[in-house]
Amino acid sequence: MTGASAPIEIAQLRKVFRQTTSGQSITAIDQLSLRIEPGELIAIVGKTGCGKSTLFDLLIGLEHPTAGSITIGGKTPYDDFNAFRGKIATIFQQDRLFPWRSALDNVKLPLELIGIAEDTQHERAMTWLKRLGLEKFANAYPRELSGGMRQRVAIARAFAVQPEILLADESFSALDEVTANELRKTFVELAREFKSTAILITHQLEEAMAVGDRIVVFGKSAALLADVRMSDWDRADYPLLREAIQNTLQANAPDARLMR
Amino acid sequence: MPPDEARTATPFEEPRRSLMISSLPRETIISIVLFAAVWQVMSYLAPSLGIPAFAIPGLGRIAQSLTKITPLDVAVTLGRVLLSLVVSFVIGLLVAVLMYLSDGVEKYLRPMVRILMAVPVVSWILFAVLWFKGVEFRIVFVLVVVCAPVFTVDALDNMREVSRDLKQMIRSFRPTPLQFFHKLMLPAITPGIITSWKITLSLAIRVVTIAELVGAVTGIGHQLSVAQELFSVADVFAWTLVLVVLLFLLEALLVRLETHILRWRA
Repeated sequence: MTGASAPIEIAQLRKVFRQTTSGQSITAIDQLSLRIEPGELIAIVGKTGCGKSTLFDLLIGLEHPTAGSITIGGKTPYDDFNAFRGKIATIFQQDRLFPWRSALDNVKLPLELIGIAEDTQHERAMTWLKRLGLEKFANAYPRELSGGMRQRVAIARAFAVQPEILLADESFSALDEVTANELRKTFVELAREFKSTAILITHQLEEAMAVGDRIVVFGKSAALLADVRMSDWDRADYPLLREAIQNTLQANAPDARLMR
Repeated sequence: MPPDEARTATPFEEPRRSLMISSLPRETIISIVLFAAVWQVMSYLAPSLGIPAFAIPGLGRIAQSLTKITPLDVAVTLGRVLLSLVVSFVIGLLVAVLMYLSDGVEKYLRPMVRILMAVPVVSWILFAVLWFKGVEFRIVFVLVVVCAPVFTVDALDNMREVSRDLKQMIRSFRPTPLQFFHKLMLPAITPGIITSWKITLSLAIRVVTIAELVGAVTGIGHQLSVAQELFSVADVFAWTLVLVVLLFLLEALLVRLETHILRWRA
């Protein structure tokens, strides 16, 4: 795996939804500009409804922006949708496994979609299941697995395509704390090992601080409240940082000390 | 990393339908035996009640009729039903896919499908007789025009109900449209399709008999027509019994197939 090669450039991004029932417009993202370097592990944190998940959909390419752009190596994930086949992988809050496929076949799914040879599919899927401690459950159906095991299969499915960009949307928040911590650790290890650009979207500040090399804090309509590189802070000062981020979130106002 | 515990089986699980069908419950056997006994008694009593003897033939007479069942007619009816169901399924599914893909197509076709479903079977038979010469084509036409809309409506409803989350997940991996249908939509709607087959199978068995009554020179419907002309209630009873058994056998086969295909659901 070569890892990510191009930065993600978000420029003046705006996304407005029109409600079908009332006809009212809702600005989910307003004038967001952000640059994410290749191989960076970034955690985006914000309150529910701040536009995090809209950004996630735009990054996947399932939504088009109302204005502005997202470019990765000169291409946009929504207009050049197929150019990103096998380059972007996702881990969602729920595992979203196909219930009719075994764990192994679920991991094989993206490999089938990108046209990897059958033998390689099997070999690579098994490798990832072993890596996540699930080799004995390769033939088990999702209903036979616990929530933590299913989420591990989802992680294996995402990494199996060896993506340049890995997107995780509240991927560990539905799990118990012990399992969530374990999977966060695995996620970080794998993202670092394979040099993927990893973006974790979460509403939990603790999770963001545990995972991200960089923490971006969104206010209403994805207004940038804070952009912190964790390496700029001493571990001893983390409680101060946590408090400062909580305050900026509470006030929904940017804090100059928290802008890198 | 040690995997956590796999989910244990639910203690109370629904009894498997295949077992219920392959081993008849005692109550079913008792009710069939009771019905046969009442029938036999009625057969003895019919003349004294002023009912003509041929109207309620004894079990012995019916058994005699059963021995005269011609397998060729059974095979012909079965062939017509299966061929028509396959054609109906292919057409029904294709139309459902088109309606799913395009709102415009859906808006135009939905009223047509509803109208087709509202037309009585007898009307279709009359149309078929007036429009077409070939007997076989008439029968297949009637069956297809009755069954295909059922497949369309069921497949479309099932496609609409496929989880938005699963659609979003597979789309994030950028499948081709064919892969989207093949990897997600088809497996996701399979349980609904099997239910649809169960409904249309029973419908087709009933409709084929009526269609065969008009003009066909083979098949169970034709034999029923002959039995009616001969005033042979025993023959009508025997052929009806064959139809019912045929339907049960086909349903049992479908249930076995369902158990195998949907083993992931258990």
